[in-house]
Amino acid sequence: MFPSLLRAYSPMKMRCCFQRSICSASSSLVPVQLPSPMETHFWYVLPDQVKSVSLLNQYMGLLSPIEKENVLSMPGHQLQKRALLARALVRTTIARYQINGHVDPRSLKFKKNIHGKPEVVWQSEDGWCQPHLHFNISHSSSMIACGVTSNSRIGIDVEEKQRKIKNNVLAFARRYFSLHEMEYLSSISDSEVQHQEFIKLWTLKEAYVKALGKGFSAAPFKTFTVQVKTDSKRSFVLAEDLVFEASEIMVESLNDPKSLTSSWQFALLELAGSHYAAICMEKDKSIKVGMKVPVRLTAWKTIPFVEDECVSGTDAVMPIGGLIKL
Amino acid sequence: MASVSTSCLRFQPLLWQSNNTCQAAQRTSLKLVSVSWAKSGFPSLRATRFRVSCAANPLTMQKVCDIVRKQLVLSPETQLTPETKFSELGADSLDTVEIVMGLEEEFDINVEEESSQNITTVKDAADLIDKLVQKKAEAGA
Repeated sequence: MFPSLLRAYSPMKMRCCFQRSICSASSSLVPVQLPSPMETHFWYVLPDQVKSVSLLNQYMGLLSPIEKENVLSMPGHQLQKRALLARALVRTTIARYQINGHVDPRSLKFKKNIHGKPEVVWQSEDGWCQPHLHFNISHSSSMIACGVTSNSRIGIDVEEKQRKIKNNVLAFARRYFSLHEMEYLSSISDSEVQHQEFIKLWTLKEAYVKALGKGFSAAPFKTFTVQVKTDSKRSFVLAEDLVFEASEIMVESLNDPKSLTSSWQFALLELAGSHYAAICMEKDKSIKVGMKVPVRLTAWKTIPFVEDECVSGTDAVMPIGGLIKL
Repeated sequence: MASVSTSCLRFQPLLWQSNNTCQAAQRTSLKLVSVSWAKSGFPSLRATRFRVSCAANPLTMQKVCDIVRKQLVLSPETQLTPETKFSELGADSLDTVEIVMGLEEEFDINVEEESSQNITTVKDAADLIDKLVQKKAEAGA
């Protein structure tokens, strides 16, 4: 069953995609089709919702020996659980796409590219068909997320909206953000709003660097500006889809203005009322420069092997930036 | 010098500053060492293999640990060794950047963004700080 077949168009202009597939205890993962170009699949798990010890043991059984070692070396139960869920989420998510016959999350092998970005090692017998699945994960203390695309580099970052910043926000921005971003934050008088905008900027910048996949030293935060051009929030119905145009998010490299920063597209979301999530993905090569194409987004809240809930189109996923099609 | 007892090992401060004793200690391989600095309030460091490093100033190390503990809200029982990675303590990239910023303020130094990416352990931070503090002192002299 593919979630896209179950989308219902409601005359109230709110498409509610509410497929709850509760798997039996036989540990099967609901298979999913790969995302299409300019589409992102976004999977997230809330650690607080995973309490069953036997389930956690089941997840542990999916990990490689090194992954197990890394999990167990974390100090304290909470951190171990978080590390475990992160690996379990990545393995089970990728396994859903059943690429090259890989249906067992255990069978997936990972490596890091030369800059340290994690990638899947695809083992196919003839080796002629290299899958183009890209993924990226992010975790905060209360959410672990995995973004998936086909044929397009992706970076994601999730942060708690209320995350405490120990340093002064403006001092931090002056030190680490670009001048333009610092000035933008300085212009906000309400400290709560300023804090929120700071977190949003952080997630967007982080998502961009992770999407680039070249390590943080390739794009130090000070050397690029993320700009959120806020027009009045508009949402309109385009055929059967709900398209949100909250704002246009652009990135500009300060060192190298000619660099292809226009080839990146952003989406900024408020998740479950508690988190900001930024997604940065490469625009499809077929899209002409200057064309505005929305990012198609499908999001699931999941407890692997137990429950997948498609939440895009519900209140759990609120687009707050970028051009997003749900 | 160092005397190994069942519960704790006390290093004389001289060990850190004197090159000779430092080298002597390095030749000795210490297994299962527990170091506690009760008087100066050092965090207790427990390591299965404790490497004596001449570059790491114990005072710097302590301040780094304090800042890390504060940023990551670590429980007092959490052990910190020089080799402890921030990521292993649950730090994400924002935490690491905040830690670096806290260290810059504490030591009145400026850490280049490129260098700050390489700070992954307590020892990395302490070494870099000592280097920058020394450079600053030399520049000022």
